[in-house]
Amino acid sequence: MEEKKTKSLFPKKHIDKGPNQRLRQRTAVLIILILIVGLGAALLRLSFLTMVQGSELQEKAVGQQLSDTVLTAKRGSIYDAKGTVLAESASVWQVVLAPINFENDEQRKAAAEGLSDILELDYENVLEKTKQKNYYTIVKRKIEVEQRDQVIELQEQLAKEYNCSNVVQLLDDYKRYYPKDDLASCVIGFTGADEQGLEGVEFKYDSYLSGVPGRIVTAKNARGSNMPFQYEQNVQSEDGNNVYLTIDEGIQSICEKHMAQAIIDNNVLNRGVCIAMDVNSGAILAMVTANGYNLNDPYELPADVEAKIKQLPENEQGEERSKSLAAMWRNKCVADTYMPGSVFKMCTASMALEEGKITDSSRFYCSGYMRVEDADIGCSVTSGHGTQTFLESFCHSCNPAFIQIGQLVGIDKFRDYYTAFGFAEKSGIDLPGEAKDSFWPEGQMGMVDLAVASFGQNFNITPLSMLTACAAVCNGGYVLQPYVVSKITDARGNVVKTMEKKVKRQVISNETSKKMCDMLAAYPEENGVSGGQVAGYKTGGKTGTSEKIGVTKPQSSFEKDYIASFCGIAPTDDPQVALLVFLDTPDGGAYYGSQIASPIFINIMTELLPYLEIKTDYSEEDRAYLNVSMGDYTTLSVEDAKKQAETDGFEATVVGSGNKVLSQIPAVSSQVATGANVVLYTEGVQPEKVTVPSFIGCAAYEANSIALQAGLNVSYTGAVSSGGVATAQSIAEGAKVSRGTVITITFSANTSEGNSD
Amino acid sequence: MAPNRKLLYKADVNRMYDDRYQASQAEKKERLFIRPSRQRKMKNAKWFAVGMGIDLPFCIILLILLTIGTIMMFSASYAFAYYTQGDSYYYLIRQLIFIAIGIVVMGAASFFNYNKLHKVAPLVLVFAYVCLLIVLVLPAGEGGVKRWIPLGMFNIQPSEIAKLAIILFFAHWASKYYDKMRLAKFSVLPGVVIFGSIAMLLFLEPHYSGIVIIGMLTVLMLYIGGMKTKYLLIGGIILIGVVLMLAVTGGLSYAMSRMDGWGQALEYTSEEMWQTTWQTRNSLYAIGSGGLWGLGLGQSRQKYLYLPEPQNDFIFAIVVEELGLIGATIILLIFALLIWRGITLSLRAKDKFGKLLGIGLTSQIGIQVVLNILVITDWLPNTGISLPFFSYGGSSLIMLLGQMGIVLSISRTANIERQ
Repeated sequence: MEEKKTKSLFPKKHIDKGPNQRLRQRTAVLIILILIVGLGAALLRLSFLTMVQGSELQEKAVGQQLSDTVLTAKRGSIYDAKGTVLAESASVWQVVLAPINFENDEQRKAAAEGLSDILELDYENVLEKTKQKNYYTIVKRKIEVEQRDQVIELQEQLAKEYNCSNVVQLLDDYKRYYPKDDLASCVIGFTGADEQGLEGVEFKYDSYLSGVPGRIVTAKNARGSNMPFQYEQNVQSEDGNNVYLTIDEGIQSICEKHMAQAIIDNNVLNRGVCIAMDVNSGAILAMVTANGYNLNDPYELPADVEAKIKQLPENEQGEERSKSLAAMWRNKCVADTYMPGSVFKMCTASMALEEGKITDSSRFYCSGYMRVEDADIGCSVTSGHGTQTFLESFCHSCNPAFIQIGQLVGIDKFRDYYTAFGFAEKSGIDLPGEAKDSFWPEGQMGMVDLAVASFGQNFNITPLSMLTACAAVCNGGYVLQPYVVSKITDARGNVVKTMEKKVKRQVISNETSKKMCDMLAAYPEENGVSGGQVAGYKTGGKTGTSEKIGVTKPQSSFEKDYIASFCGIAPTDDPQVALLVFLDTPDGGAYYGSQIASPIFINIMTELLPYLEIKTDYSEEDRAYLNVSMGDYTTLSVEDAKKQAETDGFEATVVGSGNKVLSQIPAVSSQVATGANVVLYTEGVQPEKVTVPSFIGCAAYEANSIALQAGLNVSYTGAVSSGGVATAQSIAEGAKVSRGTVITITFSANTSEGNSD
Repeated sequence: MAPNRKLLYKADVNRMYDDRYQASQAEKKERLFIRPSRQRKMKNAKWFAVGMGIDLPFCIILLILLTIGTIMMFSASYAFAYYTQGDSYYYLIRQLIFIAIGIVVMGAASFFNYNKLHKVAPLVLVFAYVCLLIVLVLPAGEGGVKRWIPLGMFNIQPSEIAKLAIILFFAHWASKYYDKMRLAKFSVLPGVVIFGSIAMLLFLEPHYSGIVIIGMLTVLMLYIGGMKTKYLLIGGIILIGVVLMLAVTGGLSYAMSRMDGWGQALEYTSEEMWQTTWQTRNSLYAIGSGGLWGLGLGQSRQKYLYLPEPQNDFIFAIVVEELGLIGATIILLIFALLIWRGITLSLRAKDKFGKLLGIGLTSQIGIQVVLNILVITDWLPNTGISLPFFSYGGSSLIMLLGQMGIVLSISRTANIERQ
C-alpha cells in the first residue's frame, strides 16, 4: 500500500531508492536460498549417504568389484608331540563363475552344460547361477586335478566357440587330509565344507587354525578385465597357525591297537575308552575312543550300523543316520560320564589317610555284606574277607571295608574331597563338549548314598576326571588341568602360544600321596595279572566293575550291563604316566575289570613303558623271558666260536667242514630268547630250510621249546611273563625259512582266571 | 535505446547524491567486507587492470576452484580415458587447452565494458532461439537426444547459450523497465512467454534439466528485477498444486519412473531399469564408499568403468569417493565463497544492469552446483547438469569462464565506489 503511494507522489527519478533497497533484500533472500537452503540440502544429502548409508553402499560397491580374487588362507596343520603330521591342508581348486560377463543365453547354456557334466552337478542349478549379476559365484569347491584339467578344456572351448572368456575361473582351494586316517580321531576332529572345524581340536582351535582369507581388490574393472594400474588394495591371506598336540603318535597307536583288539575280543557294545596322561604335567599322551572313525571320510558309518539303518523305514533313516554319526563322533573320554566303581576306592582311601582316620591298628571286618540303615550292601566275596588291615581291604577291594572307611570320613568331608579332586567341575581340557558330573545335591546325600559312593557307585563322572584324580593321588596330591595342545606356532614356525602345566589345587599331602602309591603298587603284587602286573616294571592300579544303573533292558547277555575298567600308574616309585582303560558293556565271556580291563592295561603298559624309556626292574622269573642280543661269531675259528657261543648262553650248530666261521644265523645283534640256537656256516653252502610251526596260544616257555625243536629261534615281545599267551607271530605258519631264523612272537595278557573285584 | 541508457545513468548519479543512501551504503560497506587495508591493496592491484582493478578475491577463489576441478577431472577421467581413448591424459590435455582458451576469453571479457551488452542482449536471445531450433533439425546424438551442435573441435550446447541469453535479456529488460517491473505486463508476461517458448524447444531435445535451470534463472532474474512477490507466490502455489495433484493421482511416481528411474537406483525392479539406473546407482556407491575421509586422491574404484563417464556430470561422486565428506564440504564451501563474493560485488556495481547481470551470472553457478549434487545423489532425475569448473566440456567451460569475465568486468566498476 505504502509503495503505491510513493509511486504516485514522486516523479520517476526519485523512486529508485525503493527498488534498490528491495534489490538488496531480494538478493539476501537469494543468497539464503542458494547458499543455505541449496548447498545445505546438498551437504545434508551427502552426509546422509556417506555417514549413515555409507557402510551399506560401500558393501554393495565392494560387492560388485568382487570380480577380484578371494585368496583362501591355508589352514594350519596339526602335529603330534614329535612333529608327525596328523592333519594338513593340500592344494585343490574351486570353480567360480563371473556370470556378469556372460553376453547371451547361448553362452550361459554352453557353460552350464559343460560345468554340470564335468562337476556332476544339476544342470538347472548351474544355469540359475549363470543368470546372476555378479562377479563371484562358487560353482563347486575342492575339485581335484582331473576335474580341473577338464574345466581348463571347457574354458578354452568356451573362448573358442562362444567367444566367451573371463567367465569360468579356477581359484586355489584347500582340502583337509588326515594322513593317519582314524588315529586319534576323537581328539583331532574334522572340518566341514568351508574348512571350518567341526569336532575336536579342529573345532576348539578353529580360530588359530583357520587363518585370515585375503583378497585382491586390484584386479578387475567393470568389464572384468585386468586394470592397467597397480592398485594398493591387496590383502594377503594369512595362513593358519599350526597346532602341536601333547599326544604322541607312538603311544596313541599302541593304545588304539590294544583297544581295538579288546573291543573285538570282548564284544564290547558301547565302545571303550583309553586315556594316558603325564601325571606330572596333565598333558594327555593318548586319548582313544574305540572304535574311532576315518577322519578323511567322517560321514561314513561302520558297515554294520549302515546295514541296520538300511533296514529302517525310509523316513526314519535320515534321523537315525545323523544320530549314529553324532554317536560315532562323540568323544567318550570327555563327553560321556560313567560310574567309576571300585577304581574310586583310591580316592576314598586318600581321603581317609589325609584326614588321619586310618592308623596302623585300623582293622576292618567283612562278613560278606554290610547293613547300612535299612539296606544290605554285599561284598564281591559273599563269604566275607574277615578282619583286614587297611592295605588288605584295598587289595581285596572289599566293599564293606570301604563303607566303613567312607563312614570314618563322613558325608561332609567326603563331599569336600569329591569337589577338591575336581569331580564337581569340568576338567577344563581344551576339547569341546565336556560333560558335567552328576552327584547328590548338597544336603541330599544320605548314609546309604555315602556307603555306595565309597566304592564308586551311583554317581557319574567323566573318564577324564577319574584319570585326573588318579594322577593327583599319585603325583603328590596336585589336581592338574589336563590338556591336549602343547603349543601353537604360526606359518613361519614362530611360537604363538605355549600351554603349560596348570595346577588347580593340592588335594592331599605329598606323604599321603606317597602312601597311596605304595598301596596302588601293592594291588598288582597281591593280585598278579588280574591286578595289572607288568613284567619288569613297578606298576600300580585298581580295577573296577560298575553296574550301569537305570538300564531297564540290558543290551548284553548278562543280567545287567557293566563297565569294566582299570586305572593305573607307572612306575610306582616315581609316577610318570597314568592310564585309564574302560570297556562299556562288554558282551563276551566276562565283564569284570580284573578279567578284561587289566589285560589291556598290561598289554599297553608293556609297550608303552619301554617307549617312554622307563627303567626296568625284572624279577628272576621275568628274566627267563628276556631277549638277549646275538653275538658276533664270524671270522672266528670254529672252536673259538663254539666256546664263545656257549659262554654267551647260546647253543651252536656248525654246518660245513671249514675251520673258520663265515656266516651265522641269526644275524649279529638280533634279539633272541635265551638259549637260542645259533647256526654257524663254515662254507658257502645253501642254508637248510625248515617249516615254521604255529605258536599261537602258547605260553612263552612252550613257544621257545617248539621253536628249538623246529630249528628256529624266537624273540619275545609283549606281555611275556604275566601269564601272556602268543597272539601273533612274525612269520606265518607253514612258511619255509632258513634254519636258525628268528621269529618274533607277540604275547598278550589274556586271562579270565582273575578274581572278582 | 540511447535515451533509456542516459536515463539509467542519470538515475544512478542521482542515487549517489542521496544522503541517506550514502549513509546506509557506507554502513553496509563497513559491515560487509571493506576494510581500509583491503582498499589499499586493491588500489595497488592496478597491474592487473585498466582503469580500476578487478576483484582479486573473486578471481583467486575462481582460480582455486578451477585448479581443484582440473585435478579432480584428471583423477576421475584417467581410467575412463585409458579404456575408451587409449590415453589416460586424453581428457586432461583437452581440458587444459579449453582452460587456456577460457582464461583468455575471461581476461578479454573483464576488459570489455559490459554496458555494451545492453544493446546486444535481445540479439543474444534471438541467437539462442536460432541455436535451439538448429539443434532440433540436426541428427540426434548419443542416446537419441539432440543437445549438441557439432562445430569441429567444439560442440555447442544451445541450452548453455539460452541460459546466458535469459540472464542477459532479463538484466537488460529489468534495468530498462525498472519502474514498470511491478506490473504483470512487464514482468510475468515476458517471463512466461520467453521461458515457455524456450522450455518447449528444450522439451523437444529433450533436455529437462535445461528447462529446470532456465526456469529457475527466469524466476530469479524477474524476482531481483523487481517483479511483485505476489506473482511469485501465485506461481509457486500453482507449481506445488500441480505436483500435489500428480502425487495424489499417482502421476508423480509414473513421471519419476519415466525420468530414468529417478529414486529407484538401489532397488532391483527389472533388468531394463537396472541398466537405466546404472549410472546413478554407481554414483551412490561411490559416494557411500567415500565415507568421512575418502579413499584418498586417485584411489577411487568406481571410476574403473563402474561409473560411466566419471569426468562429466557425475564427477563429484568420484570427488566424494576420493576425498570423502570432508573434502566435499571444503569444495562446497569454496563454491559458497565464490557465490557470496560474486553476488556482493555485483551489488556494488554502479548501475542496475551490472547488478542484475552479476547476480544472475553468479547465481547460475550456485544453481548448477546445487542441482548437480542433487542429481548425483538421486534426489533429482539424472538429466545432465554439469558441475561448473569440474566437469569436462569445452564449450561450456569456455562460456563459463567468459561469463566470469563479465562478472570481473562488473567488479571493476564496483571498485570505483570504494575510492
